Order: sequence, then structure tokens, then C-alpha cells
Amino acid sequence: MSSLPRRLLLTPTLAWGLAGLGAILLSLLAAGLFQQDLVNLDGLPLLLRFLSASLHPDLSREMLQLTWDATLITLAYAVCGTALSLLFGLVGGLLGSEVWWLAVSGAGGNQVQPPPLWLGMRALLAFPRAIHELIWGLFFVGLWGLDPLTAVLAIAIPFGAIVAKVFSEILDDTPRQPLQVLLNSGVSPLSACCYSLLPQAFLNLLSYAFYRFECSVRSATVLGLIGAGGLGYQLLLSFQSLRYDQLWTFFYALFVLNGLVDWSSARLRQHLGCASRMALNFKPAAAPLLAQQRSGWLLGLGSALLIAYCFWYIHPDFSRLWSATTGQRLVEIYRASQPPDWQLLPELVSAALATVAMSVLAIAFAASGGLLLAFPAAHNFFLPGGLLNPGRGSGRGSASRWPWLSLLLARALLLITRAIPAPIWALAVVFVLFPGILPGAIALGLHNLGILGRLMAEVIENLDQRPLEALKAQGAPAGLVLLYGVLPLSLPQFLAYALYRWEVCLRETVIVGFVGAAGLGRLLSEQLSSFDYPGLVLTLGCFLLLTFAVDWVSSRARRSIR
Amino acid sequence: MAAPLFELKQVSHQFGQVQALTAISLCIWPGDRVALVGSSGAGKSTLIRLLNGTLRPNQGEVWALGRNLNQLRPARLRQVQSQIGTVYQQLHLVDNLRVVHNVNAGHLSRWSLPKALLSLLLPLELETATQALAQVGIPEKLYAVTRDLSGGQQQRVALARVLVQDPLAILADEPIASLDPSLSREVMDLLRQLCQQAGRTLVVSLHDVGFAQSHCDRIIGLRQGAVVFDCPSPQVSDGMLADLYSAPHE
Amino acid sequence: MRQFILAACLLALGACTQAQSPSAAPSAIPPVNPSVDATVKPLTTGAIPDQDPEKLQRLYGKLAQYLEAELKVPVVYKPVTDYTAAVTAFKVEELDLVWFGGLTGVQARLQVPGAEAIAQRDIDANFHSVFIANRKSGIEPLKDSSDLAQLKGRSLTFGSESSTSGRLMPQYFLQQAGVQLEDFKGQVGFSKNHDATLQLVTAGTYEVGAMNEEVWQKRLKAGEVDLDNVQVIWRTPAYYDYHWVMSPAAAQRYGADFPQKVQAALLKLDPSVPEHQEILELFGAAKFIPTQNSNYGNIEAVGRQIGKIK
Repeated sequence: MSSLPRRLLLTPTLAWGLAGLGAILLSLLAAGLFQQDLVNLDGLPLLLRFLSASLHPDLSREMLQLTWDATLITLAYAVCGTALSLLFGLVGGLLGSEVWWLAVSGAGGNQVQPPPLWLGMRALLAFPRAIHELIWGLFFVGLWGLDPLTAVLAIAIPFGAIVAKVFSEILDDTPRQPLQVLLNSGVSPLSACCYSLLPQAFLNLLSYAFYRFECSVRSATVLGLIGAGGLGYQLLLSFQSLRYDQLWTFFYALFVLNGLVDWSSARLRQHLGCASRMALNFKPAAAPLLAQQRSGWLLGLGSALLIAYCFWYIHPDFSRLWSATTGQRLVEIYRASQPPDWQLLPELVSAALATVAMSVLAIAFAASGGLLLAFPAAHNFFLPGGLLNPGRGSGRGSASRWPWLSLLLARALLLITRAIPAPIWALAVVFVLFPGILPGAIALGLHNLGILGRLMAEVIENLDQRPLEALKAQGAPAGLVLLYGVLPLSLPQFLAYALYRWEVCLRETVIVGFVGAAGLGRLLSEQLSSFDYPGLVLTLGCFLLLTFAVDWVSSRARRSIR
Repeated sequence: MAAPLFELKQVSHQFGQVQALTAISLCIWPGDRVALVGSSGAGKSTLIRLLNGTLRPNQGEVWALGRNLNQLRPARLRQVQSQIGTVYQQLHLVDNLRVVHNVNAGHLSRWSLPKALLSLLLPLELETATQALAQVGIPEKLYAVTRDLSGGQQQRVALARVLVQDPLAILADEPIASLDPSLSREVMDLLRQLCQQAGRTLVVSLHDVGFAQSHCDRIIGLRQGAVVFDCPSPQVSDGMLADLYSAPHE
Repeated sequence: MRQFILAACLLALGACTQAQSPSAAPSAIPPVNPSVDATVKPLTTGAIPDQDPEKLQRLYGKLAQYLEAELKVPVVYKPVTDYTAAVTAFKVEELDLVWFGGLTGVQARLQVPGAEAIAQRDIDANFHSVFIANRKSGIEPLKDSSDLAQLKGRSLTFGSESSTSGRLMPQYFLQQAGVQLEDFKGQVGFSKNHDATLQLVTAGTYEVGAMNEEVWQKRLKAGEVDLDNVQVIWRTPAYYDYHWVMSPAAAQRYGADFPQKVQAALLKLDPSVPEHQEILELFGAAKFIPTQNSNYGNIEAVGRQIGKIK
């Protein structure tokens, strides 16, 4: 026996797993489970009314016209926001990448230490990213009012920073020798990048850009909630008027819009030959550069036209950016926020804990729900010929209809949960739950479930099929294929996505806070409505620290499960 | 005779604990065709990377085109580097770009950024590119995607890029190490011809001493980072070569 | 691929049919009166969204038409999604003339030096909130303010965080009776507007709600209240509430006497004129009366006490 290698009792993975479970339990306690009244059964009839309205949405002519206009506005915000964020992201990504600074610093061959400017750039990019679009939106409303500029920049700035981070990672992971060759023949760094790094990484960049566009559509909807117009705005108005039939008209528009955007983006990526939606792990581009195909030209031209059209449609007033009043208002806001209100600290600590608890519960809920739905939603599992389908795939009888039905149902559920913004979910959830951590967590969980579930379904579809086929060929029952094949292969990726999404959840706790959920979001909402700038500054600062801490923990955990 | 094109003065370089070159001094004159020979790890690649300014020596000075590369500011250094073309064994082409762009990359040290960007959409200066590709024998591959070419063809694309760059000197680091013998001969012929035509200087590192003797007029033997011999090709004897590739003396 | 381009084209085509009216969001009702010079920058009116946003849209559409005819400048109504947004929009000069609540009016005037409270309804000088309760909760009407302590342990919803009648004054009277927000069951809800409060309490989502008496009366009169399920349990003492606030930017744009003109136009609304009566009825008022900033000193004091004004 002594010849067997000894098993390590507490592997890092296990330690992280235990820590995760502990965090979920603590969060449940913090949410007040088993202690106080959480469920408000008296609200059930209203919830039923809300749900039953889905069967008879308001389809009158004016309503459809309004829905169409609102959808266009939301789409236009998303398009303009994405376009700008890609622009910021490209510049920021280049400036935030190690390889760029090594290229600029001259003979980079024997330089190992990244220059301080690079680190500065990275730190600079971390701030806009940590603050949710909605908060940017509220800040900009204070500067420019409800001009479309507010909505577009509220998307473009945080998203630009996220894109910059991801782009810089992609660029740093791209082979550098071609760049070095050009640099060594006396080419300036920028031209050299355009002829080496950028074309090399183009496909990964493009694939990520499409993923960002999908996110932008969801953000543009949420931004409507601050009054910026579009579907989110109409949704909120209908919700406040308790006109559920109208609400559902907008919901259906939202499903169609999200479904269309997600579907076309997936088709495109498939066409390009890059399967991974979210570039958490980069593979070298496999297909020829898009710009060299006719369809590439068409796509480029189409996108350019769409962007131009969208900017024209909403005509954001860019002159406000450099107008004198903007500067004046910035100074006013700064003055009003001084000195910070330190008395707030004890309240901040408890609110921060509630926020973390909410995000932990939300992601636990989203990950488990997403996992459950991911299997029926993946097309290579229960369908005839799929891995877990016992049949051979030739049967065309009535028995083979069920897998299709469950696939459609699972996909529809995922689409519905992610298309409806978290704050709207929260409004629905507080029908039957008292405001607090739990309804916020459930609302966030529902929204993120849709996103995670789809990402996970894609992971499953892109699994290496050979070991699974081998297991199946061996005659292993479906359950064992799942346990010994699918889960071990896909779980690390699932967890990585879930942890990444946890970071996003934390940022999003703010937006459900606005509709009465607990934590820093609710505090922020209270302070905003009191124009309490000294308090706001502190709350935002606390939120930033929390975000950085959670990002750090999440990246540590991701590294250990890799 | 004119001033040397390259000059190394007591150059030493080490990577971490590994001593790659030790106190090398040598001059390379305009029009020279120099072969660097020696076993793997003798310091041939390091020497080439010092010559084109990729590396800065830990000690000593590298002069190229009458300038001390150590002391140049980035812009000046780029000016010098634009006169030095380098071909690598691994080519380092961007394989998802069309051939024309990889060839046009030779222009980049002269082109402005907007022109460079425009050319990625609508290839510019097609004539030069076609001419260069014709010189290396694959004019028909102008619009092919680089990854679809064979190894030998890609080597020619790399050469065409250097031609478009139109440098005073061509440095080639093991250009034929991964090619079969007949292709190797073609590429070496091409290199010699391209240098002879325009009076360019050639510095090429080679495993194959035969090619060094047949295609270069001067051979520098390197062993363990030091110059063992440096003389005209005809004077290199079998004894000297045997000595070069023998086990290191204790 | 092809499908995507097709979809994009369809979308773009469809959008082109809209191109004649590329309206920026949020949509504003354009001036309709032909006698008005359309080149002048319009006077933008707004209101805190204290009730059903759709009803607000109808109400302020009518008022904008009236003001346009009276003032001879284009008038548009611009809806906002919450109370804070109304204050912010006023501050960044996106709204010139706003129907504020007591608290939001004070917040707005503190942030915009020179802003003036110009008019209010007859009922606003003597305004009340009502506490309503779902009948199933078994809560009986209260006799006096000290009975508010009976509400401990019940679930409660306010209206908007910044509502005077739906939050500030009710919370103030609760505090006076020694009831803190932590004393309620679960966390206190914020329904965002009075109609929502009414519906949530009627449906039983919350046992008790605090709302604007005028909205209650109006819905009652319209027969929209389900008295089998909801009843008033207490009426607060009176306080100053809603009022029109005028931005100094409007006077700069249309002349120094413009605030007086607007005030006059509002005061002129006469219940005996049918068109006027319609507007007054929508506002739930018999007439408008003049008001001034100093009337809201009390509200400001309470606001500071509750922490809604810093």
C-alpha cells in the first residue's frame, strides 16, 4: 500500500470549495433566513396578475408603435455605446498592454521589467470598470441631463474600460515575434502593431466585441430606468402604472431584441470559427482574417452604416462634453462632496456586508440554476444522437419530440431570464418577498442565470467529444457519462464563468438597490435622493474597495481551479 | 575602403547566468558576404540580434552605419534599423494576412500611419510588391493568404519583405535550417543574388558549412561565444572546421 | 452570416420608415399651437412622477397647451422616471417649470439659487397624508397620532423616497409617535408613487401604506378604490406640500417678468370655464393660489431631521 501516492487531504480546490460553501451559508444567515419574515404571501394575487398578463399583452396600434420606437432607441444606445467602447477599448487596450510599452521603450528584447507607465495605465482602467453603468448614468445626468449623450457615455466608459482590459490581455497573449521583427527593421510601434499584433489577434478581438454588444443591449435597457428612454424607461413607467398588459408587450419586444442580437452574434462567431463567446481563455485565431473575405467587407460596411445611422437617430450632443457649464457643474459637485461624511462608516460596513451576501447568494442561485438549464439547452446532449440520449438518433417517432421540446423550453427560459433587467425582476420579486437581501439576490440571480446558463451550454457544446464518445461506446449509462466525462471536463470552465460573473453580480447589486433591495445600493439610492454628496463619495469609495476585493478573491479562486 | 558597416568593440552578452558572447571585436564592411558558423549555442543568433539592435550588449559597443546603437534614442535607432533587413528561421510572418500585406510591411518604416492603415484595406504600392515577389519567384501569390503557402514559399515572402524594405544590409538567422537541400540552395542563391545586384552586405548564420563556403566570401567561426577564426572562405581548412565543431577544450 | 446581414438590413429598413420623426428620448410632446413661434426654445415643464405616469402625461399635455396659448412661447412636457431625476433635471436646466412636492421643491431650490416657488393649489397650503390599510390586516382606524404605535410589527410601504406626502411627513409623524422604521415587519418598501402604494396595499402585498390624500380622494371619486379591501386608518395633520417652481433660466430666456406671467396664467385658471375646469380637475384643485419660498421652512426643517436634506 505504501507504494500508492498519498492523497492530499486539503487541496487548494477543496479549500476554495469549502470557503465558497461557507460564504453561501453565512450569506443566507445575513439574509435573515429562518430569523425574520421574508415571504409575503399576501402579495401572491398581485404576482399572479402580473404573470397572467403575459397571456394578453397590450397589442393596440399605438402600443406597438411605442414599443417599436422604444426598441429602436434601446438598440441605438447599445450600438453607439458599443462603438464608442470599442474605440476606447482599442486605444486603452493597446496602452494597457505590456507588449505595447515594451515596444515603445525601444530595444525591448532584454527588458523584463514593465515600465511604471504601464502599471499606471492598468490602475487607471480599473476605476471606470468597477462602477456600474447605472451609476455612471446618474452621474452624467447631473452633468448633461437626459441627453442621449448620457446614456451612450454611461455605456461607453465602463464598457470601454472592460474592453480595454480584455483587449490588452488578448494582445499580451498574442505571439510577439512578428511585432519584434517589424520593430527591429525600424518601424514605429504603432504601425508595427497594425501589421502584426492587431491582425493576429483580430478574430479574438472581434469575437469579444460581439459579446460586448450583447451586453450593451442589456445595459441600454437598464439605463432606461434612469429616464434615458427606450425599452427600460417604458418598462419602468408601465410597472409604476401597474399596467401589466403593457409591461408584457415591452417584455416581448425585449425577448425578440435580445434573442435576435444573441442569435446573430452567435451565428457570426460560428461563421468566423471562434466558438468561445467570452474570451476567458484565448486560442490563436484559426480562420483567415475577416477583412479579406467578401462577407467581411459586407459586414464591415453594414456595421459602419448601422453605427452612423444610430448616431444620427439619437443625435447625442457631443458639444456638451467641452461646454463651460459641464466644467462648472463638475466643480460644484466636487465642492458639494467635500468633506466626506466619516460618520457614515459603521453604516457602510454593515451595508457592505449585506452587499457581499447579496452577490454571493445571487451567484449561487444563478450558477445552480444555470447548470440545471445548461444541459437541456445544449444541442449535443438529449437530442437524438446526443451524448445522453440512449437512442441512436435515427428514431423519428414521438419519443424524439421531447428532447427538442426541452431544448426549446430551456433556451426560452434562459432568454427570458436574461432579457429582463435585474431591477425589473426585483420589482416583481418584492410582490412576494419583503425588501431586503433575499429579493435582491433572487432578482440578480434570475438575470444572471440566463447569462450563465447560456455560457455553460456553450461550454458543453464545445467540449472535446472524443472521451465522451469513448465512454458512451463502452456502454456507460447516461448518468455515468455525465459524472465521469462531462462534469470533470466542464466544471472548471463553469466555475471560472461563475466566479467571473460573481464580480459582475457585485457591481449589479447597486441597481437592484435602487428598487429597495438592501446593501450599498439602497444606501446609495437614499443618498442620491437626498443629494447627500459627502455621503455618496464615501459609499462609492467603499463600493470601489469592495469591488477590488471581490475581483481579487475571484481571480485567486479562478487560478486555483484552472 | 569606406568605414565599416558594422563594428563590434569588445562586446560581451549574457542571458542570466549563461554567457552567450565574450569580448567579441570585429568589423563588417560594405559589400561583405559573411557567414557565421558554429554549433548550436555558439552565439550566432545573439550576434545577429546585437547587429540589428534587438539586443543591447551587457558590455562593449555595437556600431552600425557609423552609429553607436547603445546610445541612440528610439527615433534615431529606428532610422538605423530601417537600413538593416533581417530574415529569421521561423520567418515571423503574420499568417492570417495576405502575402501582399506581409510584403508591404517592408515599407512601414517609411510609411505614415494613415497610409499604413489604408493599405491594410486597399493594398498600396502593388507594383513594388509584385516586383519583389517576382524577384523571389512567386509573383502569382500576391493575394494568397500567407498561411496557405508552403514553408519554402513563406521563406520567399520573408525575403520579399526585406527587398521592399530595401536595406543596406541583410541579416539572415539560419534562413535554411528548416528547408530541404534543393530549396536551401534556391534560397541561398537568391540571397547571394539579391545582395550582389544591389551591393548589399549580407550576414548569414548557417549550420551548413558547405553553403557558407559556396555562397559567402568570408566566414566567421564561433564557439562558446568567442570567435575561433575569421577569414576569407577559401582559406577555411577542414582542420579549422573540425576544430570548430569538436568537443570543447578543457 | 447572411441571416445577420439580412436582419440588420431589415432593422435598418424598418428604422428608416421612422426617419421622419427622429425623436430623441424621452419623447416630448411637441408644441401644437400654430400661433406660437416655433424657433424659440420651448419652455420645458415637468413634474415629479407622483402618480400613474400615464395620467400625468395626459394632465401635463393639456396644461402645456393652455400655457402655450397664454404665454405665447412653445411649451413642452418632459416626463421623468423618479423624484430625484426631476430635481436633477431642474438643476441642469433641462426643466424650467416643475410641479414639485414639498421636499423635492426645497431640494431643488437649495441647488438652484434664484429658483422661485410661484404657485400652488388651494389644497396644498393645507395638505394631508393618509395611512391606508388592507382590511384583512384587521387594523382599525386610529383615534389619534399616538395610536400609530399600533402599527409596529406590520408591513409598511411608502411611496417615493423623496415624497413629502408619501414618505417624509408620514415618517415624521411616525417618529413623533415613537415608531422607528425598524419596528415594521421586514423592511419598509418604497413603491415609487401613490397609485402603486394604493394598489400594493389593496392587493395585500403590504398591510399598511402611506399616501397622498388628494390622490386617494381622486381615485375614490373615480370609483377606482376597492373599499372592500382597503380603508383609511388615519389622516395626518396639515402641512404645506406641492408647488410650482420656476427656474431662473426661464426669466433669462423670456424676460424678467416671465415668472409673474406664468404665475398669472396659473392663477387665471377658472373653474367656471370648461377647458380650465378640466385642467383643475386633473390637478384635483379648485384653483391655484400664489406661494413663496418661505412657506416651506417647516418642510425643510423636517427634511433635515429625517436626513433627506443635508
